[in-house]
Amino acid sequence: MKILKRYKAIAMITGTLLFVSCAHEDQPTESQLDYSVRNKTELDKWADANFLDPYNIKIYYEWNQNLVDNNRYLFPPTVEKVKPALEVVKKIWIDSYSTIGGVNFVKKISPREFVLVGGTNLNTTGTITLGLAEGGQRVTLFQIDYLNKKSRPDVTQFIHTIQHEYVHILNQTKPFDEQAWAKLTPSGYTSSWYIYSDAASRALGFITNYARLNIYEDFAETASIILTSSKAEYDAILASVTDATAKANLKKKEAIVVQYYKDNFNIDFYVLRDEAQKNTDFVINN
Amino acid sequence: MKIKYIYKYLILAFVAVILGSCTSTEADQKFDETPLERLNGRKKELNDLLLSSAEGWKAVYYTDSTQLGGWTHLFKFLPDGKVDMASDYDADTAVKRSQYDIQLGSAVSLVFTTANRIHLLSESDNYPTAALVGKGYLGDFQFFYYGQENGEIIFKTNRAFHELRFVKATAKDWTDLPKNTPIIKAITGEITSPLFRVLEENDGTAIKKYEFDFNPTARFGTAYSLVEGSEEAFQVALSFTPTGAVAKPAVVVKGQKLSNFTYDSVSNSFIATGTGGVSATIKYTNAPPRLTDDYKKLAEGQPQFVIGYLSANLYTASTTSDYFKSLSAKVNATLPATQSLARVQIIFNNAVNGTYIQYLFNGGKATITHFVTTEIDDVNKTIILTDDGWTQSAAAVAFLKPIDNELLNVKGLYVKKENFTITYSNPIYTVTSASSSFRMTTYQL
Repeated sequence: MKILKRYKAIAMITGTLLFVSCAHEDQPTESQLDYSVRNKTELDKWADANFLDPYNIKIYYEWNQNLVDNNRYLFPPTVEKVKPALEVVKKIWIDSYSTIGGVNFVKKISPREFVLVGGTNLNTTGTITLGLAEGGQRVTLFQIDYLNKKSRPDVTQFIHTIQHEYVHILNQTKPFDEQAWAKLTPSGYTSSWYIYSDAASRALGFITNYARLNIYEDFAETASIILTSSKAEYDAILASVTDATAKANLKKKEAIVVQYYKDNFNIDFYVLRDEAQKNTDFVINN
Repeated sequence: MKIKYIYKYLILAFVAVILGSCTSTEADQKFDETPLERLNGRKKELNDLLLSSAEGWKAVYYTDSTQLGGWTHLFKFLPDGKVDMASDYDADTAVKRSQYDIQLGSAVSLVFTTANRIHLLSESDNYPTAALVGKGYLGDFQFFYYGQENGEIIFKTNRAFHELRFVKATAKDWTDLPKNTPIIKAITGEITSPLFRVLEENDGTAIKKYEFDFNPTARFGTAYSLVEGSEEAFQVALSFTPTGAVAKPAVVVKGQKLSNFTYDSVSNSFIATGTGGVSATIKYTNAPPRLTDDYKKLAEGQPQFVIGYLSANLYTASTTSDYFKSLSAKVNATLPATQSLARVQIIFNNAVNGTYIQYLFNGGKATITHFVTTEIDDVNKTIILTDDGWTQSAAAVAFLKPIDNELLNVKGLYVKKENFTITYSNPIYTVTSASSSFRMTTYQL
């Protein structure tokens, strides 16, 4: 056992050394990273008060190349254009859902970041990307500089982007009946949707040409087109479809959307639509 | 014995670990400061530099001098992230305020974070040539800081990595910027400006001519030698000053680099002067730099030849001049709303009726015919039409005069068979006035 004793002694000494070596560590000093925040502008304060504080939605309007596709030729919005655009978002999207779905609805389910871009996102195919939703967390809105609050087509197109992306986010929380949907118009989906017109797509049972990309876009388009149209406008769209099968499929899709909102969120979709329309009228007339 | 070995190895491993921990990890410091301190220092250095110039900075931004010219920008940086900016992108040279930021990424960069004049070069849907669809003017508004030299700040652009220098601006730069506008207007021209441009190189003894194909929106042109059989061509990217244009790269004549073209309002041309009689001149011409013999097909005694402008198909043709469009609008304005000019046809050498111009209309208005005689000018390579009577009274045809007078101008018409077709397979002929910027695009019918 002699040898064991000797080892014990060695172990003791090294163990002591080990602890001693810990005694001279430099303690971390204050971070050198610059955490100072620049003085907030009136706009920053307004955005915080209306989006960040109540809904935990951060608004990015200043350029940050990490938030956008660097291969695109885009530019940040003009400062003066930011607030009017955000007011449209607040009134038509947030207020409508809050009124019908409950005050906490948007607080619970919403994108956490809005990235605002001033210019148009023109693709090389000639199509224009109006909005992007990434992972349900970040929504990018383009053409902020060109939004005319007094123009109904402008406001409708702009709010359609948000409604569309928000439907995706709702779908990520609660999936819709994908199997039933996929059975309706299975042969009409195509990645080259942009070479078809809306009218030609409606004749096949799709509400817009973009709806033909896949069932998820189809669902989002169906829901968002209904939300951004008045009852009369939507009826006119349906009336323009002469093909009986196509019309029936459009109506079945509408029914799935309505059922989805009822079952998952206890929202009467048509009441939500009417509220959104009321708020749209308010925005345009004020 | 077995346990002894286990202990031996364990202790050995333990000691090795302990000793290993004694290895000095002290890296050899190449700098006095840590990377972060240096980056922060650089950030402050750039911001201080930007704020240091009382009259701000000037940058002539050539976004890509292989296909675009340069745009002059003036910046005045203010505390708290604000910046005043003006540019000669268009006639609006007023100073506008927006925000900027110094951002820390792979390097320190200056970013214009909200829209202002410089962002006009980065609009995906506003592009000067078809090759730039979705890319605008290839402009960046984030610039990496690369230090300073002789009081200039050196940046590299974010995407293309081109060098861009900020030079200290003077009060005069700010007051002079609006003076770029008339210069730009002079090279852009108006609808009545001649259709063609030539670039002439004078080496002191002889003049060498180039056809200058210039795109005013892109501020970029290509000069093609007019010497028979020569393939020589070079590119010129222009930016503008209150007195003229700056060419990049410089035009080289007899070894001299000429880059400052001064605008001469008397001759309406841009002249860069060197020494020893050397110069380069950019000027307008009504005569096409390359003349063709196509007019001979229309001469008296040749077989019948019919050409026709069809407004439905040819109004938008690139060869239909703005001046022609304005005249056609003038004619249409005199007609009732339901009627408009549908066709202008010229029938050369008809066996029965000779040569005549026919005006056809939409909306049920009857065709009007103008008989003419023709004469060719072999020196200037034109065909001259002369009045030989109308099918209707002078009062009834007066409204056609804007177009008719151009077709019958005394210097005649240049005729060119183009190498493209539009909608139909019919050959395209252009008819250009020798005395104005009138150019009509026609089908051979």
